[in-house]
Amino acid sequence: MNFNKKIAGLCLVLLITSIIGMASADLTQAQAPITGKVFVSSTVFDPAVFFTGDKGTATYVVTTSNTNTSVMLNHGTFSDKNFRLISGTYDYSNTLGPLQTRPFAFSILADAPEGDYYPTFSLSFFDSNLYHKTLLQIDNTPLELTLIDKPDAFSQGKKKTIYMQVANPRKNNVRNVILEVSGAGITANPSRTFVGDLASGAKIPVNFSVTPDHETTLALLLTYNNGNNPHEVSMKIPITFGTDKKQADPVMSNVQVSTIGSTYHVTGDVTNAGLETANAVMVTALSPAVPEDPYKTYVVQALKPDDFGSFEITFGTEGSVTSVPVQISFKDNDGNIYTSVQNVTVPDSGLAKVKDSSGPPLVPITAALVIVAVFVGGWFFYLRKKKQ
Amino acid sequence: MVRSLLNILISPGAFFADLKGEQEESFTWPLVIVLLGGIAAAGYGYLLGEVSGRMMAGALPGIDALVTISSTLGALIGVFIFWLVWTVIVFALSMAFKGQGRFKRTLQVIGYGYLPQVIGSVITVVVAFEYVPRIVVPHVTAAMMQDPVAMQGITTALMRDPAMMELTQITSIIAIVFLLWSANIWIFGLQKARNLSPRDAALCVGIPVIAYVLFMIYSLGVS
Repeated sequence: MNFNKKIAGLCLVLLITSIIGMASADLTQAQAPITGKVFVSSTVFDPAVFFTGDKGTATYVVTTSNTNTSVMLNHGTFSDKNFRLISGTYDYSNTLGPLQTRPFAFSILADAPEGDYYPTFSLSFFDSNLYHKTLLQIDNTPLELTLIDKPDAFSQGKKKTIYMQVANPRKNNVRNVILEVSGAGITANPSRTFVGDLASGAKIPVNFSVTPDHETTLALLLTYNNGNNPHEVSMKIPITFGTDKKQADPVMSNVQVSTIGSTYHVTGDVTNAGLETANAVMVTALSPAVPEDPYKTYVVQALKPDDFGSFEITFGTEGSVTSVPVQISFKDNDGNIYTSVQNVTVPDSGLAKVKDSSGPPLVPITAALVIVAVFVGGWFFYLRKKKQ
Repeated sequence: MVRSLLNILISPGAFFADLKGEQEESFTWPLVIVLLGGIAAAGYGYLLGEVSGRMMAGALPGIDALVTISSTLGALIGVFIFWLVWTVIVFALSMAFKGQGRFKRTLQVIGYGYLPQVIGSVITVVVAFEYVPRIVVPHVTAAMMQDPVAMQGITTALMRDPAMMELTQITSIIAIVFLLWSANIWIFGLQKARNLSPRDAALCVGIPVIAYVLFMIYSLGVS
């Protein structure tokens, strides 16, 4: 009897189980078309391309194209051995209504070296799972800071311009690009340049002027953000003093000296033998010369390389001189004033002598008067003697 | 005659006393003497004209040659003009002392008396050869020609050149010495040509000569 009861109970359990199984099978068949219409409509990584060690976010947007049926979403997670998930997973259930979208964002940290990776976003439904893989790159290529042009040499206290270029060889945009210039004994202007966002493949010129007090090293620091991760590139430029090989070099030639009254009149040409433009070229005489009107200083104006201009200056002299220093001054494109001095031989110091001498020449006048007195006296005595 | 001409220099009274007959009327030697004086003066005029020409060369093409030629010819002709003008002055003064004698005779006497100045002119040329190369010549530009002040200035600069000043002083002394020597001759000649006493002849010659010499001394002082 007991055995029959047991057999009957087992049959009953099997029957119930079969009924439940059949019912479940019918339900699965009914839900499958609904979850199949749930998909990842977009994926956003910030930054788009990571540096090794960068933190960022991965955002997956899940969308359903069901028009009249809701879907229950369970347990959304991000997984990849090369990226550490530093935020939590989505462990609770959400209902995604018809034609709705829902983002799933994860904070991640790139642990791997450079390369292409395919992290997985998974989302569980009540009866199945959604797996989604997307390319995520790690690229450690920094921004390029390039020295485009700088003077061959610097001079103490002279302002010179340095021409730089910032380029972005990365596959993603970077933000908050800032170039800082510093160095001991250096006045840089501007010392900090905000470039802003720099798109992938873009480049932008950055110029600044430097006025060194002594020889030193110029430090350039380029900082930028990849996503929210700060990065930097540095460069050092030696600041050495010397002669700029391309500097303008006005040279005086065809110098001719003449005199007008008590004033020397010097004419000539100034030719720019350098490779850069000499601006505001001026010619004047220095001590012991005393510049006098009408041409105390002659402005030749700007001289391009190999160009020349005529000048004329007038001056007197203090005392007896055989040569007079004549100064040529000019400005470079940064407004620095350069001077060079060339001695001009004064053919004779006669003008100075004339200026120094004052009064009539006594010796010849005295001699002439003596001669006249002798003549008159002689004739006076001759006539007086003859009269007697 | 040459020997007699030398007498003019050392014994002018005897020379004019010896002039007789045709010699009294002849103008040959006076003309030769003045011409020689003119040639010597032309030499000096050429040297100084060349200096002035160099100064003006930049102002106008060819002006240097023009200045040199005009200076040379001016000196040559100037001696003959001096001869004539000086005779007129002396002749006029002698009229005040009731001098008697033709103008032609006075002209002849002044011509003979120019002989020392020929010597003086030759010495002046020699001195000028020494000094002229040392003169620093200022240059006149075309623009300066339009500016009288600039022209005056550049002329002053030339005259105040040390070499030029020394040359001027030396030639002035030479000119005074030989002019007085000429005056000595003219006094003796004028006595005979205008029938004057030695005193009157000395005054007729001496007044313009001394005045001229004083003017030269004054010029030395202000130059």
